[in-house]
Amino acid sequence: MITIENLTKYYGSNRAVNSISFTINDNEILGFLGPNGAGKSTTMNMIAGYLPMTDGTVNIYGADITKEPLKAKKNIGYLPEIPPVYPDMKVKEYLSFCAGLKKVPVGERTKEIARVSELLKIKDVEGKLIRNLSKGYKQRVGFAQALLGNPKFLILDEPTVGLDPNQVAEVRAIIKDLKKDHSVIFSSHILSEVSAVCDRVIIINKGDIRAIDTIENLEKSFTASQVLHLKVKGVRDKASSVIQLVRGVKSISSAEDEGNDITAFTVQLEGDADSIRDAIMAECVGNGLSILEIYTDKPNLENVFIELINRPAKSGMEQLLEEMEENTSGGENEDEEAPSEEENEEKEEE
Amino acid sequence: MFPIYKKELQSFFYTPFAYAIAALFMLLFSLSFSTGIARLEGSNTWNFSFAEIFYSVILYFIFLLPILTMRTFADERKNGTEVLLMTSPISVAKIVLAKFLANITVYIFMLLGTSIFPIITAVKGQVVVSQLICAYIGIFFWGAMYIALGMLISSFTESSIIAAIIGEVVMFVLLFVDDFSNTAFISQYPKVQSVLYSFAAQPRFAYFSEGFIRLSDLVFFASAIIVLLIWTYISIEKRRWNRG
Repeated sequence: MITIENLTKYYGSNRAVNSISFTINDNEILGFLGPNGAGKSTTMNMIAGYLPMTDGTVNIYGADITKEPLKAKKNIGYLPEIPPVYPDMKVKEYLSFCAGLKKVPVGERTKEIARVSELLKIKDVEGKLIRNLSKGYKQRVGFAQALLGNPKFLILDEPTVGLDPNQVAEVRAIIKDLKKDHSVIFSSHILSEVSAVCDRVIIINKGDIRAIDTIENLEKSFTASQVLHLKVKGVRDKASSVIQLVRGVKSISSAEDEGNDITAFTVQLEGDADSIRDAIMAECVGNGLSILEIYTDKPNLENVFIELINRPAKSGMEQLLEEMEENTSGGENEDEEAPSEEENEEKEEE
Repeated sequence: MFPIYKKELQSFFYTPFAYAIAALFMLLFSLSFSTGIARLEGSNTWNFSFAEIFYSVILYFIFLLPILTMRTFADERKNGTEVLLMTSPISVAKIVLAKFLANITVYIFMLLGTSIFPIITAVKGQVVVSQLICAYIGIFFWGAMYIALGMLISSFTESSIIAAIIGEVVMFVLLFVDDFSNTAFISQYPKVQSVLYSFAAQPRFAYFSEGFIRLSDLVFFASAIIVLLIWTYISIEKRRWNRG
């Protein structure tokens, strides 16, 4: 299990990551979702032990990344945003170099390199200079590097960027397959990708965690106001009064005449959507109205994402209180000198 | 550590890089050699010695060694491969050491090439072997110190060209620091003079070229190399902390 606690990063007086905590369970794919500049890469760099954190701890299978870096890093395979490849090396040379770096035993190197090249379908370019590869291939070579030595924990920073749709599907399938014996944290700003691959999602914006949950739960939690679309054949006024009378119907937000006695209603619901829908259908049929079309709006991850990103993380008062607490708790952060500046910035934002 | 050492050597020898530098070095060396020989003609007073040639070779080092070391860390940064090294289960100290050893290996390869000139001399004349070996030891340490310095400068920047230019300037200043300390102006302040003078490598090399191996000179070069390598280590670590 990987435990991340109160991870914080300041760049100068700029707070990139704000005290985030979460865990990654064994055999789990955790999606890391956020707009550009949300702090995704910074967080991943800190987890991988590349960037030192301003505050907080990262524990990877019992080894703290700052206290026992070598032990912790043995379990990490990291694919950064820009694939870390040497343009002047051939693919095979590069992978063999990486296998050495990751301390893959000499006898197993050839087998291991063959395994990852097979998995990422880069066998046909293994004799080519990396400089001459396309972006998609470079990305896959970088990915292959992360898998060398079969580390238990994989950090993948936007692994599908620059790939064509076919390759994206392949890489997603690989990631899904990796779940069998790896834990994966995987960042993206593509929603469909995250919902297709991940077990749980972390939504992050401006260094704050906005939500950690499974995709289903996230979607459910945003289904408080539900919308039912309904097309009815029959007298319009009669239909609307029938629908209005069903229990659970909040209001009819629109009713459009489509000719031939057909009306398209948009109905706001309150409560369990399924039973209300059944009730509406029963009432309509009972009153001699025929239903041509009926469906509920499913709030998808997209809406959840947009709503979470745009929702302010904390009220201004809370934030101020927190700042004050931070200032009184002593000089742990290197950026304590400039708290006033930050406060001003935040006031301006409000 | 070995994989990095091997990779560095590959990057020198799989490309024309090391060969080009070694060839240029040989050319410059041979020019000094042939002028030295030419001067012997019709003169009994001029003393031809390899130590003399080595002095002029040092000047060429200033242009060649920064080119050798400029890519050491600057390129890792530019390619984004620094992340790979830093997130691998290997310590930064070992990365620095491996890269230093790889540079030294290329340097030894360059020096070995020059051994052809004493061999030619030995065939046609006489070579004082003991003095020659001492001079080689001296020049090896001097060059090794400059390599450590070049690596340090390479760790400061992302551009290998800037690393090379700054390296050349710093090495140039260091080469002439003893001349500088002997100027009339500095001589007014004996303490400043002695401090400056203690940084000078040239007088120390003079002992080697005369056939002396003094412990103090060895300690000077060894400690300079160690300090520069530790500084490189600190510079890399510091950059990670300051990144942003």
